[in-house]
Amino acid sequence: MLKQEINELLTRTGPDTEMGDLFRQYWIPAMLAEELPEDGCPPVRVKLLSERMIAIRDSSGRYGLMDEFCAHRGVSLWFGNNETNGLRCAYHGWKYDVTGQCVEVPSEPANSGFCAKVKLTAYPLVKIGDVLWTYMGDPAKQPPLPEYEWVHVPSEQTYTSKRWQECNWLQALEGGIDSSHVSWLHSAGLKNDPLFKGSKGNQYNLNDMKPYFEVVDSEGGLYVGVRRNAEEGHYYWRITPWVMPAFTMVPPRGDHPVHGHFWVPIDDENCWVFTFDYQPVRALTESEVQAMKDGHGVHNEFVPGTYRPLANKDNDYLMDRAAQKRGETFSGIKGIAMQDASLQESMGPIVDRGKERLVSADSGIIKARRKLIQAALDLREQGLTPPGVDPEHHKVRSAAIVLPKDQAFLDAAQDALTVQPGVRQATV
Amino acid sequence: MRPTLLNSCASAATAEEARFRIDAKPGLRVERATRVVALDAGAAEIVRPLAEAPWLGSRFLFDAGTDELEDADFVLMIATNGDGAAAAAAIGDVCVLRGIMTAGLVLASDQDQGAAVTALRPHSRVLLVSRDRRDAAGLLTALGA
Repeated sequence: MLKQEINELLTRTGPDTEMGDLFRQYWIPAMLAEELPEDGCPPVRVKLLSERMIAIRDSSGRYGLMDEFCAHRGVSLWFGNNETNGLRCAYHGWKYDVTGQCVEVPSEPANSGFCAKVKLTAYPLVKIGDVLWTYMGDPAKQPPLPEYEWVHVPSEQTYTSKRWQECNWLQALEGGIDSSHVSWLHSAGLKNDPLFKGSKGNQYNLNDMKPYFEVVDSEGGLYVGVRRNAEEGHYYWRITPWVMPAFTMVPPRGDHPVHGHFWVPIDDENCWVFTFDYQPVRALTESEVQAMKDGHGVHNEFVPGTYRPLANKDNDYLMDRAAQKRGETFSGIKGIAMQDASLQESMGPIVDRGKERLVSADSGIIKARRKLIQAALDLREQGLTPPGVDPEHHKVRSAAIVLPKDQAFLDAAQDALTVQPGVRQATV
Repeated sequence: MRPTLLNSCASAATAEEARFRIDAKPGLRVERATRVVALDAGAAEIVRPLAEAPWLGSRFLFDAGTDELEDADFVLMIATNGDGAAAAAAIGDVCVLRGIMTAGLVLASDQDQGAAVTALRPHSRVLLVSRDRRDAAGLLTALGA
């Protein structure tokens, strides 16, 4: 049960909201690099944290993210021409560089200096890996760039997709923290998905449907450990890190790539789910990449030419009752990603957490909410930098590991949960 | 059969349609018979102020006997060190026998955390290891205790 005002605090991320201020302390994924594929390419409309912006890659290869609307008459700059070192508004020809600085107002004398006084709100846009990242907070407090491993391994070792999810960011994120649904909703995927099947860990998963949960504070957020019975005297642990505010990783299976998500608010009723797969020490194989492009694993198929999932709320997520009856899917929906998204969207755009009935297995979600609330209030009242801003907090891994029963996962798996360049992921 | 009305398909997940959700009646809420057990002196210090507050169907125990578990359906054990290991084992055994859900909350210093976790892990289906003492109240509130 959550009071309405607390639910509001957690879910609203627009300007001047508590959670919006919190998100504006971090570098967050803004878009995929493929959306701005070459110098001088067409601009792209981007909405993040309830702010509408235009993203450009200018003729010199510089990236910029600025207010979508021209300072002159408020028309969208999406219609503009990406000219030499700037975007020119299609209405009256005002031109802006990647910092949002107006560099030309054709109706004014060239030496009037008027354009120097016109500047759109703009944010940095930086390419790291396959992702363009932005920081939408106070420039004076801009933190160092993100250090997540998935965007720092060589390009042949990593793959990222993004999809539109039609609900508030928090209920999407909470699905990434909530490990207890995997044995149910995704049970069939463990048997037949090309990016999941075949690992020994899957057998532990499927043989023990009543796992134990252990939630442990970390510097950047939480570790959520799920333990199941393994061989005599041992537990099989699956450990999910959450780095504040919105980064989660799924524990690996066998030699399959490691995957995870970054859950980014578009506005209060929509979010982007950036979904990645990578191998810390080897290139992805052709068949692995093809499986990701085909929507397997934690990825999905798309409506052609868009980032909207092919299975979406307008077509009842392509519900297949026959497959459900045959046991090929648990919910009738194909694919891990859309199994999650369909249920999370069914809760409504912003679920009323005053009506939910949590149980102790939800401790990860409970603790994550408390950490978000506390960080937002500490920021607003005391100006404290929240967990997860420090790039050292980004250097985490998920892990799947078998340990003797008397060992605490955080002690025994500390190395496995920390990025070690050149060292393979801990997996079973 | 294809859905014919907005509210009979997934597109009904809108804020507008949410207006038509049936409100939960207070009398129909599931209340748990919760027992909060302070396993050591440090835990008692944390739990005592909580016991003063109004809760729904929760009782707070400082002398960890198992008689008080008679009609419980959820037990939250709180530890700040390993002193309560024997009590946790006794409570855990009773809970297994009677099908009572168990959870553990470790609120320990770095020095004592390992012992507290070791004491609680075998006897808790869920374990939360935290540095924030306010999590005791937060957890109970979230669980509707």
